[in-house]
Amino acid sequence: MPDTATDVAAARQQGDTARRASSIGLKGIRKEYPGGVVALESVDLQIGAGEFFTLLGPSGCGKTTLLRILAGLDEPSAGSLTIGGVAVTETPPHKRSVNTVFQSYALFPHLSVRDNIAFGLKMRGVAGAERDTRVKRIADFIQLGELVERRVDQLSGGQRQRIALARALVCEPDVLLLDEPLSALDAGLRRKLQVELLRTQQRLGMTFVFVTHDQEEAMVMSDRIAVLNDGVIQQIGTPQQVYERPVNLFVARFMGHDNIFAVSARHERRITTPIGELTGERPCHGAHVLIRPETIELSAPESEGVEPGKPLNRLFCRVEERFYRGNNVEYRLALEEGGTGATLIAEISNCGERLFRVGDRVRAEIYPEDVVALGDEGSTS
Amino acid sequence: MSSADPVWRRRRHRETRHLLLSVLPGALWIFVFLVLPSLYLMSVAFMTNGGYGQPQLPLTLDAFRNLAGFGFLGWSPGNLYTLLRSLWQALLSLALVILVAYPIAWYIALCRAPLRPLMLLAVVVPSWTNQVIRAFGWMNLLAPGTPLSELAVRVGLVAPNLGLFPSSFAVTLGLVYNFLPFMVLPLYAAFEKLDHARIEAARDLYAGPLRAFFVAVLPQTLAGLLAGSVLVAIPAFGMYVIPELLGGGRSQMLGNLVAQQFGQAANWPLGAAGALLMLLATLVGLVILRRLGRRLGGDDMVI
Amino acid sequence: MTRRSFKRALGIFWWVTLLFLYAPLLVVMFYSFNSINSSARWGGFSLRWYRQLAGNEVIIAAIGNTLVLAIVSSLIAVAIGALTGYGLYRHRARRLGLLIALVYLPIVMPDIVFGIADMTFFVGINRLTGLLSPGLATMVIAHVTFQIPFVALLVYSRLVGLDATLFDAAKDLYASPAQRALHFLLPTLRPALLSAFFLSFTLSVDDFVISFFTAGPESATLPIYIWGAIRRGVSPEINAIATLMIAAVALVAVISLALGRHRGRA
Repeated sequence: MPDTATDVAAARQQGDTARRASSIGLKGIRKEYPGGVVALESVDLQIGAGEFFTLLGPSGCGKTTLLRILAGLDEPSAGSLTIGGVAVTETPPHKRSVNTVFQSYALFPHLSVRDNIAFGLKMRGVAGAERDTRVKRIADFIQLGELVERRVDQLSGGQRQRIALARALVCEPDVLLLDEPLSALDAGLRRKLQVELLRTQQRLGMTFVFVTHDQEEAMVMSDRIAVLNDGVIQQIGTPQQVYERPVNLFVARFMGHDNIFAVSARHERRITTPIGELTGERPCHGAHVLIRPETIELSAPESEGVEPGKPLNRLFCRVEERFYRGNNVEYRLALEEGGTGATLIAEISNCGERLFRVGDRVRAEIYPEDVVALGDEGSTS
Repeated sequence: MSSADPVWRRRRHRETRHLLLSVLPGALWIFVFLVLPSLYLMSVAFMTNGGYGQPQLPLTLDAFRNLAGFGFLGWSPGNLYTLLRSLWQALLSLALVILVAYPIAWYIALCRAPLRPLMLLAVVVPSWTNQVIRAFGWMNLLAPGTPLSELAVRVGLVAPNLGLFPSSFAVTLGLVYNFLPFMVLPLYAAFEKLDHARIEAARDLYAGPLRAFFVAVLPQTLAGLLAGSVLVAIPAFGMYVIPELLGGGRSQMLGNLVAQQFGQAANWPLGAAGALLMLLATLVGLVILRRLGRRLGGDDMVI
Repeated sequence: MTRRSFKRALGIFWWVTLLFLYAPLLVVMFYSFNSINSSARWGGFSLRWYRQLAGNEVIIAAIGNTLVLAIVSSLIAVAIGALTGYGLYRHRARRLGLLIALVYLPIVMPDIVFGIADMTFFVGINRLTGLLSPGLATMVIAHVTFQIPFVALLVYSRLVGLDATLFDAAKDLYASPAQRALHFLLPTLRPALLSAFFLSFTLSVDDFVISFFTAGPESATLPIYIWGAIRRGVSPEINAIATLMIAAVALVAVISLALGRHRGRA
């Protein structure tokens, strides 16, 4: 049990970041529903204390099931689970020091905002006076202001989200679970609350397990991301690793689907693709390669190369389409030679330089290390 | 693997126990105080009538023969007339209920949204009063000497010194009155979802008002109409209070025949056979309703 | 016919139908204040039939029976029916077809069959064991039987309308099963339980046929009394009792509507 006398605000003042955090260990977690549907296939996972960890995947990939198993709302069919080193596989949810922010927020309609926030403390038998102080502290911390006095049905989506967060945080759980907490909000509010949530986590140093299907959100917020598909973890890594070095076709496509090419022939570091012959950094074994559009550099064909000495993939192309997005410009390029009709997409950040026009000849340069070999779909690290 | 999985087995056990603890009291209550009595009543239909209406062995089909009109004195059409009258009254009142309820439901759906719940309430509220009192109200309205009866006499609908009540007309009126809300509610549900674009499309494609009605309106409300028909016709078939109070001796229906056998007539098996017939009618109605619900994609909650 | 004239025609029809729906009730109420014994002629305003009621012990007893029957049966039905509704909700993923059919049975059963089946059953039990002689007890049993499905249905539909993750949230916020029932389920269901009680009450007071067949000599309720009075010969006294019953039902309806509106705001 965490020390209940310590409160969130005090932890912040003391800069005491590790106190509330617990690590999580999952071993061979499997979930099969009656009728044979397998939601999770033997998941092994270590989440560090104080980490902002994200479960990312398309709907039906098993991420919510995994979260519910952490909360104790679902029992795994097999495998074991530890929180803070203690085995809790069989512990019912009301005896776990884990709280959840639900996708629908699940605020109790029969209770006021204040009583909603106090609900967990009341169930744990925290005395009335202490309950009030702690509710007040968390309300200050999340800056709820006068929202506490309102009725639940008077709140907007963003306000509900923050109440749900306060209701979970006030219990000072070892681990906070967040099930797509921002998915019901519009884009602007969503970005604002992403920042707010991230700051909250950083100040508290609490272990957050966050579920989302939005890869951008996952990258903004997470220390590490686990990408799931069909109940199997595809890759675990930092946002950078997952985005820049996806291990397989699924992860590469899920994190951004442009510029994935099938490899038709390979010899050492040389590979043949629909956009022509490319040189990779290492010998390539996968059936596909990925070139992230923003790693490609474009220049006029007659100009000097970027770094003449380095081994560089040079492709001569013609601009087919141009999409101006303000901060960057996307070009769709048709290969002039060596290609088989495939389109290469390049994303150039807009630094105020002259833009290429549709029909221009350009030279695309790709560093060997930016040619990422992908394993087959489903193959994992 | 799932059935052998110990976690699942344990869980299933727990859930089954929970199910039993929560649902059993209600289910058992209904089983003991309705299903068992009904089964007993059904079994009575196959017994012999002993002297004072008490059912006795041996088992026989006499009660059904009796119901069909075969008695000690040979065949008489009385019971059969009662059956036919029940059927006729149920169908006639159904037709009239449709004629009244259809425009009413349509009108409610055409009114402004905040008014609609109030209007529905206005239709339903009278049925919250005890049906004996409602029938009594009609007795007051239709009795000899009242303005309505006087009017009927003057027009020549009834003989002088007689009233509109008691009569089989009063029974039909009472049935229509009683079952009107049963038709308005499902019809309104259908009208509320009415796709007006289809009517406009029909009008746009040169259909006259009547044509547009049959092409665009009626098909969309058919489900509600049929559901309402079952809800009206089946209970009307077994009605007891209204024919008893408004009908007088010559407008008896099946419900009265059944009730009599447990009272003065003292023939439980015959009464039970009539009750069995009503149950069968109800069952047929339910099956139709379920079929409709499924075929028309509605939810099963219509019942 | 233009759309507007069509709607106007429907409007006229609507008011005529309303007159049809309320005329019998209004007539009863009107003649309850008639000073002479007639339902065809108006002899002036008077409260004599109400005064006559107040002195009629049989009627006072019938009012008592009606209230006791309605309140006792509603309380039992709410307790049992709420449990049933909750069970059906909790296990709605299972195939409960037969169970649901059983719970629906009292609603679809024709009144007269229901009443007679219970009567024959109670008579049989009474002959075998001496228990359950016809009276208030047998009436309560029969009323609870037809009230249970309505209560269960109300509770069930309230639960289905609820965000299912609320149940998860209660578990997640450290509520034990008992605490969940006390601090989450009961308060959440309170409006539904209240309307269930009022509905059960109304159903009980409205019922005639089932009461009629399960009643004993001492347990006549108001509807049974009115029925008897009508069959003996119409007395304006009946107008007065009927008016009181209409008023009572209207009152209960207004209360439950007000509760419903209040719930809508809260």
